[in-house]
Order: sequence, then C-alpha cells, then structure tokens
Amino acid sequence: MAAVVGPDSGTLTVKTGKGGAAAKAGHNLVIEVTSWRGSFDDGSITLTADSGSLRVRSGSGGMSPLGDEEKAGIAQTIDEEVLKGGSIEFRSTRVERAGGTLAVEGDLELLGTTRPIAFDLTVDDGGRVTGRAIVKQTNWGIKPYSALFGTLKVADDVEVLIDAQLPTEGDRDG
Amino acid sequence: MVELDHTFETGKPADYNWEAILDLDRLIPCVEGGRVVERTSEDQAKAEIRVKMGAMSMTFVGTVSVAEQDDAAKRAVLRIKSRDSGGQGYANADVTFRLSDGGGDIHTAAQITGKAASMGEGVVHSVLDALIADFTTKLARI
Repeated sequence: MAAVVGPDSGTLTVKTGKGGAAAKAGHNLVIEVTSWRGSFDDGSITLTADSGSLRVRSGSGGMSPLGDEEKAGIAQTIDEEVLKGGSIEFRSTRVERAGGTLAVEGDLELLGTTRPIAFDLTVDDGGRVTGRAIVKQTNWGIKPYSALFGTLKVADDVEVLIDAQLPTEGDRDG
Repeated sequence: MVELDHTFETGKPADYNWEAILDLDRLIPCVEGGRVVERTSEDQAKAEIRVKMGAMSMTFVGTVSVAEQDDAAKRAVLRIKSRDSGGQGYANADVTFRLSDGGGDIHTAAQITGKAASMGEGVVHSVLDALIADFTTKLARI
C-alpha cells in the first residue's frame, strides 16, 4: 500500500541562487511547485511534478523588492523559457533505511533527460517526511537562465526541498 | 565615469563602415533592446533602450547625436543622453568610433546614475562591457 503525498499534505519547494558579475541585480528565489504527487511504498519512492505549476513565493537580494507582477513574470519565464512544459519525474532505484533516515538513489527525468540522483529523506515518528536534493541543471541539459547579456545568471545548482505529512494507515491509497 | 574599449570586424571597406555607423536608423537597433523612437535630423535621433533583467526591465529614453565627425580620419563621436523612464537616474555616454577597412574600434566613456549605478561601478562596468561586446557582434552584420 503506497502512501501518497501532494500539495494538500506538504510542500515541494525549489530554491535558486544567482551568479555572474551582475549577481547583485538578481534575486534568490523561493519557488513552490503547486501541482505534484509523491508516492512512498516499501522500498520504492516516486514523484511527479507539473512543470507548469511553479509559483514564485519570495525573492531576496536584488535591486528592489519583488512585487506580485514580477513574481508572476518570473513564473511565466520559467514556464516558457526554461521548463517549457517538460516532464519532471523521479523514480527510486534503491532506498536504504537507517533509523529515521532514508538514503535514496534513483533516476530523475527532467525535460526528457534522465540522470541518476541521490539524496536523504528524514521520516519522523509522526510520519513527517523532510528532505533536500541538489539538482545541477546542466547535468540534465538545461542551460541556466541568464540575463543582462550573460552577466546575471541563475546558479547551476538548484535546491529542491520536500516537507510532507504521510497519511496515517487508515488514509492510505490501495 | 566608466571607460571601455572594444574592437569590431565587419569585413567591409572603411567607406561602407563609415556610412553604416553614421546611419542612426541602422546603428541604434544593433544595441540589444535599442530602438529609434524618432529620427529628428540626419545626425540626431530620439531613442530608447530597454534592458531586461529577467522579469524586470529598465528603459532609458533620450537622444543619440553625432557630436563629432571627421570624414577624412573616419572618426566619429556619438553622444548619448538618456534618462531612466522609471526612476531618477540617467545614462550618458560618448562613444568614439574609429573606422578602417574591415572594422574599427570603439571607445566608450559612460556616466550612469540612479538605480543601475547603485549596483556599483564594477557591476556597471561588467554589464556595459557585455552590452557593447554584444553590440560589436551585431555590427559585424551591419
């Protein structure tokens, strides 16, 4: 029986940094994936996310604060120029439990390219799952977004965080 | 004041390069985000440049004029005076072209104030350097 999590029971967050000579002009972004589904089964974890569902929640740094219009503009740029409606799918190949920690290895498909990835998840006694993975965009053939003639770039390493509550036994899908 | 030097290649004769550089309708669109708003005279145009920074952008509006022109030496100075349309800052520059067969060189002396300058002179230098380098690649096809 798989335990299924999604936006109703947790958050899937993407954090981006910035680089380049004009890094000061850009923002570090906190982006929420608003449509995703994770499935936890014995020794098997899968996750799919809708690449068109990323929404900018906050931005720090930069020359001026991010308003709602800018946040929407960035989300549109991510959708149209970076992810372009491509696939986001993770499937574990190995899950090892050591106490409350799951060492996970698997294949991540991003925009049609599949590469291995490894990360740890922590599961507490109450069924709360937290974890963090680093996705190096260029490993998946994604050119990090740049502006200002290449002097302002999104950092190649993107941080992906999950924080979700597993359903209790009675709530689980079959 | 930020000063930068660049070279460019067109593979064309000096006379061709000279005529192309002085034609503001052809030259201004070679700046990424740049456009002629109104050609006010043979040697002056109202123009604007929109600099995109991801979802945000800054637009500078002003004039580009031929301030000095030495036909024999094929040396011209274009004077840019512009204001940040969304703020208090301005961006002014004297851009000196020296042309020869095959291309030429560009010396830029720019003064930038306001929000763009608040990033620091090092950042302004880097962005201008990248902007002009991009401009030179477009001049190659002018």
